[in-house]
Amino acid sequence: MKEIIFENICKSYGKTKVVNNLNLTIKEGERLVLLGPSGCGKSTILRIIAGLEDITSGKLYMNDDCVNDVPSGDRNVAMVFQNYALFPHMTVEDNITYGLKVHKVPKEEVKKRLEAALEMLKLKGLENRKPKDLSGGQRQRVALARAVVKKSDFFLLDEPLSNLDAQLRGHARKELVKIHETCGQTFVYVTHDQVEAMTVGDRVALMNEGTLQMIDTPHNVYNKPANVFTAKFIGAPSTNIFPVDYLDGKIALGNQNLILPQMWINKIVDSGCKNLYFGIRPEHINFSRIEIDNAFKGFVKYIEDYGNRFGIYIEVEGNEIIAMCDKNQLKSGDIVYFSPDFTKIHLFDRNTTMSIGYPEEL
Amino acid sequence: MKIKFTSELKWHIILILFIIVSLFPIVFAISSSFKTLNEAYSNVFGIIPNSPTINNYTEVFTRLPFFKITINTFSIAACVTLFKTITALFAAYSFVYFDFKYKNIIYFFLISTIFIPFTVTMIPNYLTISKLNLNDNLLGVILPQLSDATGIFLIRQAIRGVPPSLIEVAKLEKIGHLRIIKDILVPLVKPAIISTGIMFFINSWNEYVWPVLILKSKENFTLPLALQLFISSEGGTDFTIAMAVSVVTMIIPLVLYIIFQKYIINTFASSGIKG
Repeated sequence: MKEIIFENICKSYGKTKVVNNLNLTIKEGERLVLLGPSGCGKSTILRIIAGLEDITSGKLYMNDDCVNDVPSGDRNVAMVFQNYALFPHMTVEDNITYGLKVHKVPKEEVKKRLEAALEMLKLKGLENRKPKDLSGGQRQRVALARAVVKKSDFFLLDEPLSNLDAQLRGHARKELVKIHETCGQTFVYVTHDQVEAMTVGDRVALMNEGTLQMIDTPHNVYNKPANVFTAKFIGAPSTNIFPVDYLDGKIALGNQNLILPQMWINKIVDSGCKNLYFGIRPEHINFSRIEIDNAFKGFVKYIEDYGNRFGIYIEVEGNEIIAMCDKNQLKSGDIVYFSPDFTKIHLFDRNTTMSIGYPEEL
Repeated sequence: MKIKFTSELKWHIILILFIIVSLFPIVFAISSSFKTLNEAYSNVFGIIPNSPTINNYTEVFTRLPFFKITINTFSIAACVTLFKTITALFAAYSFVYFDFKYKNIIYFFLISTIFIPFTVTMIPNYLTISKLNLNDNLLGVILPQLSDATGIFLIRQAIRGVPPSLIEVAKLEKIGHLRIIKDILVPLVKPAIISTGIMFFINSWNEYVWPVLILKSKENFTLPLALQLFISSEGGTDFTIAMAVSVVTMIIPLVLYIIFQKYIINTFASSGIKG
């Protein structure tokens, strides 16, 4: 099986732990995205797979073999670097075929693979140019072509789109997915951009401070975050999180109460947890200037205009909550009543910051 | 604009003076080498000789096996340059890309050898060469100079400017170290290698003290040693001939400089391609 299995992997530089007890299975042929803020260890994980970093402890399996001591060249991986790492003194063609030529792949085969890669990545006509004569997007495609011609089992991408402008990035994202669908290798993709992660990944592994926070489909990562970090990291503006206490079917925020639906009451009772964090995305809040049932009362602190919608910052019992709306008739200082969409809320244990889970109905 | 002009003028004057001071000995040597000895004394600073003569040059070539001496100097300088550059390249590569125990300490000691004066190593080296029976032999001059910490330092600095990802790409492609050096590193740090090489070449070309210790017969002399013959008591005070020797000594390094000047001026490699 062309799987990658991390078994209790730790990586430290001196006393600094960069990867902390990672257990992860990357399935054959899937597109796994490693997502996280800068310095969370996601690039290190990619470099561990490539064999460019050694492992402090734990075991790494690729194709069912433990590869802890296997040098990079023998791991059958192709990698696209963030800075593309094109050889500046070689032409596009030489950059793409250099590895094949060194390993004496027959000339016809080299030519066939080169043609196919040039075709796939729309690089025809640029074969004899040097990297300095290419645009950012073209360089990125040359770097991809170099990885594609290798026909290796694993395809590693380290923030390959971060040097491109927003428009080109959207286009390149689609191309990447297309390449994966054509080649079918196991893709491991590192990014700090959540839109990229959600659109490219079959599954998303979210990292923070060297620890795996959650690994699931983009849908579940967004809708059923496993912990407070995931809820806050995914989505912009980020999920509102505030502390609440559970008592007799209600949650209390300061002096205000909200009656919970039965499905959530059951969940909370099952979890045995009373001190909670309440999470709700800004787009899942209903609010009104007129008093509504089962709602928190607050006042508008300020309003942000995003062009296509508005972000309303509401202060409730000392907590700042942001809600999104398409039309705005509010102004700073207005009293508002807001209630969350209870099918979209998230509850987390305040001690562990882990989700208490979701009712079966959702 | 006026302020800019006057401030620039100041620099231009300083630079022009600097050029005159630097070039004067060369112009003086060339001009004197075409003068007769009498004119050289009567018309010391005249740039164009009144009655130009090539006698000084013919004299040099008849009095000494001059062609052989030039070949000797070139052979020594070429061998020393080649070996010093290659050993410096390999050592620098190891210091940058290999992790080994006590790497930094070893590097520190290596670099500190730059500050050891030649006079300290001169006697041990002389004794070793004598024991090897290489006195009055070109190999005796070459042998102690096959590696050099300055070169390791300079090339290491250049290699550190190469983005590590380029070498990592090669590692992922399972490309051996020699091939990485040949195909990737050398093209990228070529200017540094060439300027280091030129520096080695010129140093070796001008070297006097070590060859004078080792080389005894005129057959084996190098150009600086030959030059000495004409300005010592042995050669008398015929300084126009000495100037002719100087001019000949200068030619080969000058030609090399002209060929490689773009690398010497532009020492830093264009490294790293980013979007």
